[in-house]
Amino acid sequence: MQRKLTPYILLVPQIVLTIFFLIGLITGITQSLGVIPAFGLREPTLFYYKEILTKPDMVNSVLYSLRIALFSALFSTAAGVLLCALLVNGCRTKGKMMRIVQLPIIVPHVVVALFAINICSQNGLLARLAYAFGLIGEQQQFPALIYDAGGFGIILAYLWKEIPFIIYFVIALMANIDGKLGEAAVNLGAGKVQTFLRVTLPLCASTISSGFLIIFVFALGAYELPFILGATTPKALPVQAYIQYTHPDLRNRPYAMALNGLIIVISLVCAGLYFILMTRSQKKLAGKK
Amino acid sequence: MKKRILALLMSTVMVFGLAACAGDDQKKEEAQKEETAGDEKTSEGQGGKEIKDMTFDELKEAAKGSTVTFYGWGGDEVLNKWLDDVFAPAMKEKYEITMERVPMDIDQVLSQLSGEIQAGEEDGSIDMIWINGENFQSAKENNMLYGPFVEKLPNFGDYIDAESEDVTLDFAYPIEGYEAPYGKAQMVMIADTAVTPDLPKNTDELLEVAKANKGKVTYPALPDFTGSVFVRNVIYDICGYEQFLDMEADKETVKKAIEPALEYLRKLNPYLWNEGKTFPDASTTVDNMFADGELVLNMTYDAFGTSIKIADGTYTETTQSFQFDKGTIGNTNFMAIAANSGNKAGAMVAINEMMSPEIQADRFDKMKVLPVVDYNKLSDEQKEAFDKVDLGKGNIAQDELLSKRLPEMPAELVPIIEEIWLEEVVGK
Amino acid sequence: MREEPEKAVKKRRFMITDIILIMFVLAIILPVAVMLVWTVTERWAWPDLWPQVFSLRALDGIFQRSEVLTKLFASSIIISSAVALLSVAIGTMTARALVLYEFPGKGLVYFLTVLPFMVPATVFAMGVQITFIKLGLNNTVAGVVIAHLICSLPYGVRLLMDGTAAVGARLEEQARVLGASAGQAFFRVTLPILIPVILSAFCMSYIVSFSQYFLTLLIGGGQVKTFTIVMVPYLQSGDRNIACAYSVIFLCITLAVFAIFEKIADRWSRNTDTAFYT
Repeated sequence: MQRKLTPYILLVPQIVLTIFFLIGLITGITQSLGVIPAFGLREPTLFYYKEILTKPDMVNSVLYSLRIALFSALFSTAAGVLLCALLVNGCRTKGKMMRIVQLPIIVPHVVVALFAINICSQNGLLARLAYAFGLIGEQQQFPALIYDAGGFGIILAYLWKEIPFIIYFVIALMANIDGKLGEAAVNLGAGKVQTFLRVTLPLCASTISSGFLIIFVFALGAYELPFILGATTPKALPVQAYIQYTHPDLRNRPYAMALNGLIIVISLVCAGLYFILMTRSQKKLAGKK
Repeated sequence: MKKRILALLMSTVMVFGLAACAGDDQKKEEAQKEETAGDEKTSEGQGGKEIKDMTFDELKEAAKGSTVTFYGWGGDEVLNKWLDDVFAPAMKEKYEITMERVPMDIDQVLSQLSGEIQAGEEDGSIDMIWINGENFQSAKENNMLYGPFVEKLPNFGDYIDAESEDVTLDFAYPIEGYEAPYGKAQMVMIADTAVTPDLPKNTDELLEVAKANKGKVTYPALPDFTGSVFVRNVIYDICGYEQFLDMEADKETVKKAIEPALEYLRKLNPYLWNEGKTFPDASTTVDNMFADGELVLNMTYDAFGTSIKIADGTYTETTQSFQFDKGTIGNTNFMAIAANSGNKAGAMVAINEMMSPEIQADRFDKMKVLPVVDYNKLSDEQKEAFDKVDLGKGNIAQDELLSKRLPEMPAELVPIIEEIWLEEVVGK
Repeated sequence: MREEPEKAVKKRRFMITDIILIMFVLAIILPVAVMLVWTVTERWAWPDLWPQVFSLRALDGIFQRSEVLTKLFASSIIISSAVALLSVAIGTMTARALVLYEFPGKGLVYFLTVLPFMVPATVFAMGVQITFIKLGLNNTVAGVVIAHLICSLPYGVRLLMDGTAAVGARLEEQARVLGASAGQAFFRVTLPILIPVILSAFCMSYIVSFSQYFLTLLIGGGQVKTFTIVMVPYLQSGDRNIACAYSVIFLCITLAVFAIFEKIADRWSRNTDTAFYT
């Protein structure tokens, strides 16, 4: 009996907070349906969703956001895991190295954007170096790494911030597993790389994949980097939501909330797809064995 | 895993289901709240007497020892320092009022305010707000502001020209005593005369400058404030301004009226930074690009800000601000009081003090903000305080600047133009 | 014979590893170094590699405000530490429930714990604001802590779930068999092994809370002031000199706080037990 109750007791504070969160979420969604009594909006309607979904540049915006999110998450995760493995392998999981890894995690996104401009813009340090070495004669000849319609600059900025995030997210666990099981495997005659691929990586898989998902969903919903480093068109979804949100007419808020609603739905769909894919591939792996 | 997906679906359904119920609840609460909101504005009494019936002296008495919060944009270090180190001590000494500056963008201020009002909070945390234009119109129309109050303030009657359109209208929207003037702004353009010796006097010459400096001219992407006023200025220069002052806020009408200007902007595009496919996100970005020499032209609402930046060393000594011959758009920024402010008396005392000649002269001196007081209403001594202010390098003389001051368009036209710009100009 | 080429391969691999790591460190450090230069830079125009005009404007301004800023830091650090502590405590409880027990509704609970990841902060913030006002939690430190906690808890739960799963229940069960109470088993056996993961979760929650801007504004109403609230307007103002100065302070303080946490965690795990590591 006691054992049956234990999980629920453990979950009490979590559930209380979740209720707060749900209230916030539900109120937010209510606003996207055009119900904001303070501004005299009362009747729930799907008008705002219809309106944003029929905008001509909407498909482009969605694809643009998805591309940024996917590439940022994919490359950060891959590079992050690789670097993490190198760090664990070299026993550099503490001290100075970790301080450096922590740096980008702490740096706020607005500052990351400033960094990207300082380094990569046509006026940045790289362009100046190219000029100093005579590689280019004018600013405009330096490739437009940021402000481009492909979102390259945004992805680059996300990589700078999120690769260390992945390292940080995974390293404690990886070091722990590596220390405990890795040695055993090596003693049993497996090579280091093999041990990593066969033992350590699978055991970290769920953490790594949640790291991937966190970055993906975050990059899909955050407006700072696309707003500062993105092109004027297409605009990322969260940028559109932000612009609607700052629109001086308060009755435009439902548009912002509907756009956010759209982001939430896309996030949920992606997360769902992702879970399905993950379980399938896990089953496949298990089947092979 | 299947369980997990099922859970996902279930909870989504649940969330939407609950949302519908929550909507109903709120409606009821809202209806109740609205009833009280009507008298909330007037019932705010201290010592039994209602705020609106109190004289200014009684307000001063009521506000003694209280704290006034002042919400507004907090990105200007010079202004922040002035508010903290000059204005706040003055208020403390003169009225025993503690000023608390809260740095917040206007959209967030309005979010917070609307939330508080929606929840029926009567002793709201926001007292004084720095506001203007479309935000003011929206806030006033949604009953989020307290007023009318300016008639009560002695400095408003004594030193402000209550008839001038700078004080009666905010983006052509009637103020009706709901906000008091804080400072004046006017758009000017900035260039380095060492790089571009011939400053353009109209849009045609601007095009020539852009052609001569290919890739080094741009403006902030709309809806940035400054980018938006620049485009409106181009429209005024090409299409004249009179027709817009009473134009209907209809997209087709506006589009027709500004077509020649759109044509011009499209013609400008190939010579712009990134060939007009992308525009910088904000005026602050353009400021930096100009300071770095990546651009040869900058624009700002801060008419006399150039001398400060030259003095700091951000701009070169040869930098000069200039206007079109036909003039540039100017507007006023204001102070308003939140409808549910817990300290309306204190806010009024503070706003009154902000309009005093001494404070306005100090703002003019330290931050080069165009004063809102009427020069003709001042005593000789007060006039002197304004006269002796040195505008510094790179600024247009005040008389000349104000002689070429054009009125803002009606607030409703602004977002329409921003929308049209995005559809018809970017990348075209 | 067989050993020698293997050694050479090993050496080369170490070289490559080192080069990759050095590149990585450089990529992180370079923008930060440029930022350091910007704190005293007034003008740095194309095409120079070194600024033309220096000034102490930003640093002067900050020194003049040092008293206010110190207070801000103290309150920010206290708020964020409280959030991180609660996040780790609640996260550990939730993780245990979800990892070690089977119960109906588990999938739903798990889904709800990670849902905040998928909801942009503005949506939640604007929605929850009214509720907080009605509960009298707005403009209070407690309200801000609760709001921050909702945002940082998912990170804590996620990390601690993996940690808990890796540790497993077996060690604790053994301790129980040997006569330890449930509490003892957890605190003496599992907790020390969990320390590194707890530290990660703690720091992650801390930084989520410490850099929270919009939510703090809306729930704190500008009355609860944190360093971020004062800093962000400068970051957005485009005044690079001041923006960089504030960012540098922000980074230094946060890194220092993290170093202290790490020290504490280190000492703690060493004092309580090391035997379980092997």
